[in-house]
Amino acid sequence: MSKLNETDIQGFVLRGYNQPVARYFFLHFESAARARSLIGRLLSHVTTGQRWDGAKPQSTVNIAFTHRGLERLELPDATLLSFPVEFQQGMKHRAEILGDCGVNSPEHWDKVWCEDRVHAWVGINGLTPEALDARSSAVLSAIEETDGAIVLGSQDAAAEVVQGRPTTREHFGYTDGFGNPDYLGVERSSQPGQGKLQPDGTWVPLATGELLLGYADEAGELPIAPVPHLLANNGTFMVYRKLHQNLATFRDYLDKRAATYGGGKEKLAAKFIGRWRDGTPIELSPDHPDPAIVQDRNRSTNFTFGADAQGARCPIGAHVRRVHPRDAFGFNGRLIDRRRITRRGLPYGRFVPEGEPVSDAEERGIIFMALNASLSRQFEFVQQQWIQYGNDARLGNDKDMLIGNHGGHGRFVVQGDDSRTNPPLVCTNLPDFVELRGGDYFFLPSITALGMIAMGLVDPR
Amino acid sequence: MPNKNGSVYGLTILSPIIDDARATPSHDLQIRNYLAKLSTREDSPFALAPATHLARLVVMDDVIYVGAPACEEHLKSKYLIFESNCDGDLDGYLRGLADNIPEHLDAIWKHCVGYPGAANRQAFIDYMKACQLDTTFYFAAVNDKSVSETLRALQTQTAVADFIATHQGVDAATLQQEFIQFVARLKSLPLPRPGSMGPHRDIKTGGRNE
Repeated sequence: MSKLNETDIQGFVLRGYNQPVARYFFLHFESAARARSLIGRLLSHVTTGQRWDGAKPQSTVNIAFTHRGLERLELPDATLLSFPVEFQQGMKHRAEILGDCGVNSPEHWDKVWCEDRVHAWVGINGLTPEALDARSSAVLSAIEETDGAIVLGSQDAAAEVVQGRPTTREHFGYTDGFGNPDYLGVERSSQPGQGKLQPDGTWVPLATGELLLGYADEAGELPIAPVPHLLANNGTFMVYRKLHQNLATFRDYLDKRAATYGGGKEKLAAKFIGRWRDGTPIELSPDHPDPAIVQDRNRSTNFTFGADAQGARCPIGAHVRRVHPRDAFGFNGRLIDRRRITRRGLPYGRFVPEGEPVSDAEERGIIFMALNASLSRQFEFVQQQWIQYGNDARLGNDKDMLIGNHGGHGRFVVQGDDSRTNPPLVCTNLPDFVELRGGDYFFLPSITALGMIAMGLVDPR
Repeated sequence: MPNKNGSVYGLTILSPIIDDARATPSHDLQIRNYLAKLSTREDSPFALAPATHLARLVVMDDVIYVGAPACEEHLKSKYLIFESNCDGDLDGYLRGLADNIPEHLDAIWKHCVGYPGAANRQAFIDYMKACQLDTTFYFAAVNDKSVSETLRALQTQTAVADFIATHQGVDAATLQQEFIQFVARLKSLPLPRPGSMGPHRDIKTGGRNE
């Protein structure tokens, strides 16, 4: 596998920008011609995957389309119909498959996602709020000058800043963003535990086709992609989900459960996720957080569950073990290599320190974005089988503790052992800690494909 | 020999479907229509009759020609395929089907060549065995337990899990007392009906998850 053409791939696909502020615009196209001229204008803004050898740019811009958006851009029918079915349908239509029912069902989503009018997502990341505002204004001017789209709404997101430095913590207090996979050909500072597991215990990058269209995937096949190839190559699919976090409910539940748990509150919080709140993998350090592990690139993601089959250290249903089971299903982890996703995203809403009054009703949560070559084989499988169900982990109908759709029922088992500080615990009557407030499936095209769309040159023949 | 994996029997039956140009609709269509309307839950025929872990009924029309360079071949007949992972000896299992769901068996197999009806037990058993193929490569994913043992185990697991969840932190004396009562109650519970243990899930079958 030779090096990828980073100048043709949107930067958002290849790397997490680690920029602390972001704004996502949701656009509606009215006229194909005007929308195409807008895309042409935005092309000069779009950040590619080229490495930043000097300083980071002050801001970045990326763009993606819903199937409805591509239809409105008047791509040929033969192209539109060649997209995978789940992308054509969109996330709302997939609610039943994804378990997006109850409080998560589309009738409870934000208005912008209920109306089927979102045609494009423009994501802007900034190093500073000023840089974000400046780039947003430039994008909005392009929209205005071309009359290319209506801005249906926007979503701001920002990392929590502690002592002047952005953190990767989310609202429940967990340090997030450890486990993105490595892919062949993507130059990225990688670390053990982020690719696929080998029989000798080492980790190597996943096939490029698990992330990008036009390359072989882990089965040696090309991912299902639209025609022509040039439209698909170096593109990927993105899931956008606005996940509201019920912080008051979470804190209250953790306090109540911890009162009867011998391991203490912080250990119980760590058992939910599989990492202590500072990010230390509980599998590597079961009794206390250990900043030395978190900071050690050779250790922070480098662990397996094979020696912990009973879940005494990391519960079998802990979030990180569910969504990235590593070797937990045997066969040297090969059963999970086609179920990996790359995650992007930032929290939104005000951070509230522990102990201060907080309400579930406040706008607060995380913008979850996942990138994968196949929405149905990767994201949808993880969501349906590993988040909303437990059979693969031999947990019957149990769902993910934190993001499962429990509706006050459900169960999370902390396996533990017979020591006083690591007792077993069964958490029941689980509330919905996280609620889905909307989102959709997007196609994130290559730079070439953006040009083809802008110029009306998409030809499926 | 290869029909068993541990104590679980892997039954494969191919019954030729009657080819009668005068039948309207044709016999294979009549079978398909009947099968499509069968329940897959508690009132499935295989839940009403004992000893089935998993069963599948399929109408096989023909060998599919996939184009050159494959050679074009055809079956002599359409077949009804019946596959079942079941308990115990084959005669006892077939007798259980004939005793409990004769109307379903007759409604399906009456479209097959030479079917004698379920009312004549021995003729029915002989017919099914005459249509049997050896299951030459067979793995039963059911832990080598019988259907009743599995149902009892699921019932016990659910009940014990609920007991644990509702008795965390209870003092030892109370816990012991309540556990003894719980075990007595559990033992007296009737065996759950096959198909009744899974909670209702919205996830559909038949390719609709894709």
